[in-house]
Amino acid sequence: MKRFATIVALVALVLLAVFLLYPLALVLDASIRIDGTGAFTFGNYAAIVKSRYYLGSIGNSLLAAALATGLACAIGIPLAFCLARVDVPGRALLLTLASLPLVLPSFVSAYALVLLFGHAGVVTTALRGIGIPIGSIYGMPGIVIVFTLTLYPYVVMPVLAGFLAVDASMEEAARNLGGSQSYAVRTVLLPIVMPAILAGGLLVFVEALENFGVPAVLAEDRPFLAVDIFKLFAGESDANPAAAGALSVLLIACTALALLVQRHYLGKRRFSTSARSAPAKLSLTPGLRVAAAIMSWGIVIVSLLPFAAVLMVSVLRFRGPVLTWELGLDNYATLLSGSYRPLLNTLTLASVAAVATMLIGAPIGYVVARHRSRLSGLLDFIGMVPFAVSGTILAIGLIVAFNSGPLVLTGGWLILVIAYVVRKLPFAIRSSSAIVHQLDPSLEEASVNLGVSPSQTFATLTVPLMASGLVGGLVLVWITAASELSATVVLYSSRWATTTVVMYHAIEGTGAGLAAAAAAVLILVTAIPLLLINRRVNKQEATVI
Amino acid sequence: MTTIRIEKLTRTFDAVRAVDDISLDIAHGELFTLLGPSGCGKTTLLRMIAGFVEVESGSISFGDRRIDNLPAHRRDTGMVFQNYAIFPNHTVAENVAYGLKARKVSAADIKSRVDKALERVRLAGYGPRSPHQLSGGQLQRVAIARALVIEPAVLLFDEPLSNLDAQLRTEMRIEIRQLQQALGLTAIYVTHDQEEALAISDRIAVLRHGKVEQVDTPERIYRMPQTAFVAEFLGSTNMVPGVAKAFDGRNTQVAAAGTEFTVRGEIAAPGAKVLLSLRPEALQLSDGTDGPRVQARLALREFLGPMQRLHATLPDGTRLRVSALGGAAFDALPGAPLVLAYDPAQIIAFPAP
Repeated sequence: MKRFATIVALVALVLLAVFLLYPLALVLDASIRIDGTGAFTFGNYAAIVKSRYYLGSIGNSLLAAALATGLACAIGIPLAFCLARVDVPGRALLLTLASLPLVLPSFVSAYALVLLFGHAGVVTTALRGIGIPIGSIYGMPGIVIVFTLTLYPYVVMPVLAGFLAVDASMEEAARNLGGSQSYAVRTVLLPIVMPAILAGGLLVFVEALENFGVPAVLAEDRPFLAVDIFKLFAGESDANPAAAGALSVLLIACTALALLVQRHYLGKRRFSTSARSAPAKLSLTPGLRVAAAIMSWGIVIVSLLPFAAVLMVSVLRFRGPVLTWELGLDNYATLLSGSYRPLLNTLTLASVAAVATMLIGAPIGYVVARHRSRLSGLLDFIGMVPFAVSGTILAIGLIVAFNSGPLVLTGGWLILVIAYVVRKLPFAIRSSSAIVHQLDPSLEEASVNLGVSPSQTFATLTVPLMASGLVGGLVLVWITAASELSATVVLYSSRWATTTVVMYHAIEGTGAGLAAAAAAVLILVTAIPLLLINRRVNKQEATVI
Repeated sequence: MTTIRIEKLTRTFDAVRAVDDISLDIAHGELFTLLGPSGCGKTTLLRMIAGFVEVESGSISFGDRRIDNLPAHRRDTGMVFQNYAIFPNHTVAENVAYGLKARKVSAADIKSRVDKALERVRLAGYGPRSPHQLSGGQLQRVAIARALVIEPAVLLFDEPLSNLDAQLRTEMRIEIRQLQQALGLTAIYVTHDQEEALAISDRIAVLRHGKVEQVDTPERIYRMPQTAFVAEFLGSTNMVPGVAKAFDGRNTQVAAAGTEFTVRGEIAAPGAKVLLSLRPEALQLSDGTDGPRVQARLALREFLGPMQRLHATLPDGTRLRVSALGGAAFDALPGAPLVLAYDPAQIIAFPAP
């Protein structure tokens, strides 16, 4: 058993070293050298500290992430409480819809905001027509709104689990011992939910900080870290890889710090999520119930509205950049008239990446969950590093690492797949180790005891038992890879452009209709598989003992 | 022929010595039980034999073949797990066939051997069923069939009955014992249930803090415990501290609990502190005939059906449990005086710690 775990861990560590740590090391290296001569310097960092533009960039990114975190908590916690404790009509549907923004591409939501409230937006023009001026949504306000509306599920999901984890008897005991309802909330409910709030909040913070697509669409000329890194590295006029490296290192430092705080905090406080009897629904006055329902449904609908708007706009005709109210499939015709290639690329790359991610992630997740050792601890830690690294930075590292030398990958499809696999690996590892935790270890021991080797036991017994969960993970990786923008836009070559790239360039240029069609395709591509597995997973769960 | 030799086996987890320098010899065809409270190291020892816990030092041999450096899947042991570990994604027959397939047995042989194994555990015809259609007792039988069918060198049982209800537990232990004897297999059985251990074993090793306290037949373990721990762990004995007096050539008098007990043999030098073990069934309500006896008072009476347990208070307040037959007409109220008779040969003395 130990040998199997050691082999898996070593292979995984080698892969991660080559495709994650080595590229990151090169980015770090670039940040401490003078561009061109290669001499050692801290000058790049000094230049950043001295530059008002870059300090503004860092400040804007941190401020947007912090505001988004606060707002996501402000709407996520009440929503989680309502889902857990109030009899909201359509609760099951609400729960499904509330998780959707996590997998729908956030820059599509940002683009919808532009379509509706931008310079030539539908709402802007309409309001201007009747004489009401409307403030600009570009820059901070729009970005914070989009982050909040697309990332709040990160708060809802763990906090909901936390609220449900409080066994009914806990609250009853608190009441029985003479505590008031609010005392019970303060002494029992909140302490249990607090780590979940922090965990979810920090995830929102990290995701918002790293996000490239949303500021790329909405920042206009205001500086944001993720966009500036991209421009400094890939920009035609003002390229400065050393400065890009230095900014990357600072961004990684911020996200890594947030993740370490989260890990440290969660490591000390674990709450059981196995309440024997879920806490009772609160008996509210009809007025409060209606208010709770309106608030819950309101949050979810508003967060999904941008996606609906994009779908709608995509079937309207554009005259130049101006939207008309004529129905028509012209946008889709434009999208596909160029070539089917980008769509095909999206589907192919996502499929290859999803399968590869699960093939690599499942054994790692298994080893991390089952075989506690120093090696697997190291693997667990390094496997989570991609969380702290934005797609843009990883892509830059990959380009620097594999542009020359023994292994040249730039310009091909493989480098895109590698970027997707590395970025989605933490998710694959987390989800498969979560499944393994639910499997009784004695099942594997029984197999080994009966004479089947550990590696064969993993392949023939453990994997089939994990199957339903792995399928879910596979589909989620597929979805997020299909809508990946930040790494793709750095790594793609014209032969391997994807739908996200087409949409990005259409937004940058004047192809408003084209962008809407591409965005709509991305929504469909991500939403359809999700609906399919929702059914499949439910069916499978029923058959698992 | 499989004899098992365990020599100077040690395993520590962090600073705890889970298995501490244990040596055991187990004869072929023997059902050998590892008995002890939780945390005594019995499960660790079993898992070391199965190959799931690494040996730190010492050795394990089956016959003259040393096996402690073989990987678990090559040790040829058949283990019955506490929670059965029946593969939920396989049918009953596939579960039983699992080890045969791993041994590359031909399909035809597998079929006949699986059928025979299921028949042996009284599950003929259950092969095509899915595990979740079976009851706990049936799953237990599948687990046993799966371990037996590979004809392992050694059978290992890890508290196999602890998840069953009381009645099924007694039935299953008889089945396990009969199968093991009929097949002549060497078996190691882990349990914390002393009654189960006494009922099923050829020999028992009582473990405590990773060390062996005593290895003996069930009768000798019960009647002649070598340590106070063994005496206390097997049967709910009464431990009474006392001080030895003079030896009269046949018995030693012991002052204890405000009265005096007569113990067979010269148990200690006069004045030495001792611990007396008085089994509840070794004490009777005196019928007036001669013999050693002590005065006590009834504190509480528990009626248990076939027997009743009397809680008697000795002159200094020490409580004693006394087993009396349930059918005997006895309806004294708490506070009533009792005269307890006993056989000096049945009292065991240990040096006080």
